[in-house]
Amino acid sequence: MNSSQDQIQSSGDFFDLLQRSGYRLHSPLENANAGEKLVLTQATTVLAFHYKDGVLMAGDRRATAGNSIMYERCEKVIPIDDYSLMAIAGVPATAFEMARILSHNFEYFRRSQMQPMSTEGKIRALSRLLKDNVGMALQGVGAVSPIFTTYDLRGQKTLIYFYDILGAEFQIHTHSATGSGSPMIRGILEHENLWGKKPLAKRNEAEAIKLAVRLLQTAALFDSATGQARPEDKLFPVIAKVTKDGYHFFPEDEMAELFKKSMSRE
Amino acid sequence: MFEEPFRWMEAISTRHSYVREKLQSGQPVIAVPYQNGALILSFSPQPGKIFEVYDRIAMGGLGHPADVEKLRMTLLDMAHLEGFNRSSQDVNLARLLQFGIAPSLKQNFEEVMRAPYLIKLLLLELDRDGQPNFFRLNYDGYWETLKNGGAIAGDEKAMEWIDKKIEETPFATFPLEKALAQACKFWQEGKQQAAGDEEKKDDDPEAIITLKKVFEKWSLEVAVLCAETQRKSIYRTIDSREIEKLKAAVL
Repeated sequence: MNSSQDQIQSSGDFFDLLQRSGYRLHSPLENANAGEKLVLTQATTVLAFHYKDGVLMAGDRRATAGNSIMYERCEKVIPIDDYSLMAIAGVPATAFEMARILSHNFEYFRRSQMQPMSTEGKIRALSRLLKDNVGMALQGVGAVSPIFTTYDLRGQKTLIYFYDILGAEFQIHTHSATGSGSPMIRGILEHENLWGKKPLAKRNEAEAIKLAVRLLQTAALFDSATGQARPEDKLFPVIAKVTKDGYHFFPEDEMAELFKKSMSRE
Repeated sequence: MFEEPFRWMEAISTRHSYVREKLQSGQPVIAVPYQNGALILSFSPQPGKIFEVYDRIAMGGLGHPADVEKLRMTLLDMAHLEGFNRSSQDVNLARLLQFGIAPSLKQNFEEVMRAPYLIKLLLLELDRDGQPNFFRLNYDGYWETLKNGGAIAGDEKAMEWIDKKIEETPFATFPLEKALAQACKFWQEGKQQAAGDEEKKDDDPEAIITLKKVFEKWSLEVAVLCAETQRKSIYRTIDSREIEKLKAAVL
């Protein structure tokens, strides 16, 4: 065992362990002014709202760089642990890396400390990563604005947190959306919640999925960085739920049916 | 001392004796395959012998708790860094042992001015094809693969006896309940072998180690690596309801 391992290091913080091993979340960008010239791959419309059984999270699949469509099958809702999902908007390179760090962080903590990380700890962990990324975000090369959803085993409730690019966290009691297409649908979400047939929190799973699919299609009509579903190519939005049983992604064949139902006028 | 090879060899020999004596009272830990994966179990006065290391890797240990903890953390750190920097598919026990802790343990053991690790570890994993792999790691860095499962115990006689019994038993064909019950019986019988209970049978039947006494006095720790799960981490500890069922089956 080497000298650092001779002392028991049991803080359970994977990010600390990574940094001790020489890893840096981002490279220094001295005098680069990178954001002014680079055209970065970005994304998105992602959303989350409370429904009857928990939280529904959804995202389109398009990644863009300026006016170019770079990728049409991007997974923007990412599992972090058995009870948590993160929906990403912003620069995918940074967002995916944050998701990987977070995922390893929760598992490393659970295994090393022999207890799961508290919900507050999980929420804070993402905030810390975003705070560490402020320099990149402000230089215009690494801004990420995620939504985090987790089931709180102790409190027995599902939680949604929205984060700004500086790392501030906001608990969301109804609905949240982020990404370039989100302004087009935030009003619809609020309208549905206030004056729809039922408040969002009282809708069942089928109703919640229908709304999520329609919202993403609407966002795609107005925002070129949000991708439309293309059933002929088996390309559908990613939709997942977080409930007391953990997270669940609706598979492609199920999505094909759900999408068809959602697109028909009632 | 270091200029004289004989003195060094003597020191190493003394260290072996010292460590073995310290480990003598270590309770057996058993790991075996079963139909859908692999299990690891032990009884002990206080919990803290069976641990999850990574998505498909578990370990059991005996010896000084602080030393077991140091090696557990080293394995955790190595596995998680490798899983992050490359892929979880690159994390396996053979690599963690061969290129990780075994050489360091050996070096530590042979540096006679440093305190040796007082440990024995039993490690298991389910590989990507769902096949279980078992490894035993000694305090001096020596490690071996165990084809059909195996045991560690402070008492060498108990360990060899349990190993032999495991080798003769088709655990891989057993459902979980049967494999658990059989492993518990081997644990008890291994302890009895080590304690010489055969001879006590007539003189002092009360002194014989039985599962009933062990269940009353100690806690049973069991974990499984179960191939039949959609979760990334396939490690699961057996809950109290399952332990009660096991008790009913073996007592």
